[in-house]
Amino acid sequence: PVETPDGAQARARSLPAPVTDVAKLCVCDLLVAQCDTNCCCDPDCGAEDFSLFTACSVPVVTGDSQLCSQKAAVYSLDVEANPPERIFKLIDQVNPSIFCIHATNYKQALYLKSPEIPTPENFDRLLDKFGGSTFSAEPDSWNLDTDAQNPPDTNETYRYEYGAPVHTEDAFLRLPSPVVSSWCSDANPAGFLVNQATKCIRSVSVEKCDSIQALSMLFYINSSILASAFQVNITVQSIVVQSQNGMRTLLNSSDVLRLPMVLDGLCINAVLGVNYHITHTDTGEIIEAAAAFVLGAISKETLSIEQSFEISFTQENTQPVPLSGNPGYVVGLPVRAGFRPQGYPFPAAFSSSNKHSQLTILQSTSTQDCLAAQGARAPVLFGYNMISGCKLRITAAMKCQPLAQTLLDVLKGQSFPEYVASFGNSQAQDVLDWVPITQLHISEQMISNPLQSSCQIPVSLGIEVKWTKYGSLVNPQARIVNVTATITTSTLKQLPSGRERIIPVTSSVVFTDISSPAEPGYKAWPTINIKLPFDFFYPFV
Amino acid sequence: NKSSQLSSLPLQILLYVNGVYYIFYFLATLAMIIYKSQVFSYPDDFLAPDLAVLFLMAILEVPRLYLGFKGNLTEAEAPLGLSLGLTVGSVVLCVYLLLWQTYVLWADVLLNAVLLSAYGLESGLKVTAIAAFVS
Repeated sequence: PVETPDGAQARARSLPAPVTDVAKLCVCDLLVAQCDTNCCCDPDCGAEDFSLFTACSVPVVTGDSQLCSQKAAVYSLDVEANPPERIFKLIDQVNPSIFCIHATNYKQALYLKSPEIPTPENFDRLLDKFGGSTFSAEPDSWNLDTDAQNPPDTNETYRYEYGAPVHTEDAFLRLPSPVVSSWCSDANPAGFLVNQATKCIRSVSVEKCDSIQALSMLFYINSSILASAFQVNITVQSIVVQSQNGMRTLLNSSDVLRLPMVLDGLCINAVLGVNYHITHTDTGEIIEAAAAFVLGAISKETLSIEQSFEISFTQENTQPVPLSGNPGYVVGLPVRAGFRPQGYPFPAAFSSSNKHSQLTILQSTSTQDCLAAQGARAPVLFGYNMISGCKLRITAAMKCQPLAQTLLDVLKGQSFPEYVASFGNSQAQDVLDWVPITQLHISEQMISNPLQSSCQIPVSLGIEVKWTKYGSLVNPQARIVNVTATITTSTLKQLPSGRERIIPVTSSVVFTDISSPAEPGYKAWPTINIKLPFDFFYPFV
Repeated sequence: NKSSQLSSLPLQILLYVNGVYYIFYFLATLAMIIYKSQVFSYPDDFLAPDLAVLFLMAILEVPRLYLGFKGNLTEAEAPLGLSLGLTVGSVVLCVYLLLWQTYVLWADVLLNAVLLSAYGLESGLKVTAIAAFVS
């Protein structure tokens, strides 16, 4: 039979009616025209199938339990009978609550809403509403709400806490980032003290060069950040222009605002990356904001570009040193170390910003040759016990003292630090926050004959870091208490010429938790403070 | 002398009780509408008529009771007749809340049934009183 186009269209315009009869509803009936195991409500099952069931997976099918009285289909297996048979009962379930629904005049109250069928008339509207990668249940009211919440009270002093969105005049400081897919979403606010780096893709075209806001520098520095009592303008720190082949050049003058424009079929001055640097005080007030831009050109064939955004927060008058925890060490972050400054014990700063003063350990290489692998070092990460090593080939021609010195260099590295920060965020100025590294020497073999001048070469370095849990019981912070570096030396026996020996050299780092068990701390008992009036004992006193 | 007093005592008592009961009824129905809007899906197009009917009923109730009191005490049939007319309106709104509300809970049925029976009894007593005043 040939269907008329009208008939097909009419059928396509409405979905099939929902099934509401509890006797016909079956959620375990998954296989079409076949009997599902242990599904007592399946109409495809016959009496022989029921006799093989062990239990009913769906015992009751009922509508909304909020109704005062409703029909319920109860399925059960009568195992006493031989063979077991299914019992089907249609009962009236009564809700005894006084707030049960007696009747409802709103058809969609108890059922899910049927979705709209797209027709040529409502297609555009539906595409606008649902065509994107995300859509919310009530888009219009939602947008209105966020706009209403945004205009902040300018009389308030803005002291930010960690993670709080950074307020600007009209909304928040935005850091475009990929949300569901890789496409940029401009609604991501930057959190205070949350250093972020994001990359996302934006669809562009040369025709819309000056109309796409996110390609223009103004979009990123337009609004000023609300800080306490005044607004901080975002200044342009530097502009780097990236050419078509990827070469970047730093512009001398960063005062001129370069807006995107079309030149020779290219859209130049399009923003490819923004790097925000926010300076704040130690009380959480923002005092400075700067943005460094990377501008590039978009050609006619480019349909999308990747933009990268970064934001970093620095406290004023400090060097931006990457913290390994705040305040306790975070497992996996490098242990911060430094050197005692000249003129100690006078208060001065420990130098830890120098990368070479990190606590490092020998890194095993594929050749496993100690002498060839000088220089390959791995940073010591908090909480990660590491062991590494290499093999040393000793020939008869090698002299003891230079060999011992070389091995010491291999084990300890070029600049072995003297102090280790006890907290992840220890500042270089706080001398009490730094723990000295204790150096021990152990000789592997006891020299039985003191007259025999033997050569001692270091064969292993063991760093033991003792740490403890510090602070409250629910949020303990890791604190390094003691660091001991033990060099084990061994006697080098003189080899007959022509022979060679291979000795293993190892270095290890061990983290030991020496925290004492937590003591509960209670608040002080309230004290009763009674003072009698001065004339209480009048007239006797 | 009892025969000279035409004002109906049962009507007066019923009007007074009706007034007190209505305050409870109004607050309870309002609270239940708020409960329904939180627990069930109650779109604004359906919530607005229900709230409008409830508030309209409250607005009608005040003059209705006042005219009833005044008419009964002054033994005048005009205010009592006007009150009877307003009662008809209140009955219609009460029937709406009983039958055609978006969600009719069992508590709604009880409250509205009691109110409807009070209205019915009141109307009967008012008619009797008017007949007594006129004659």
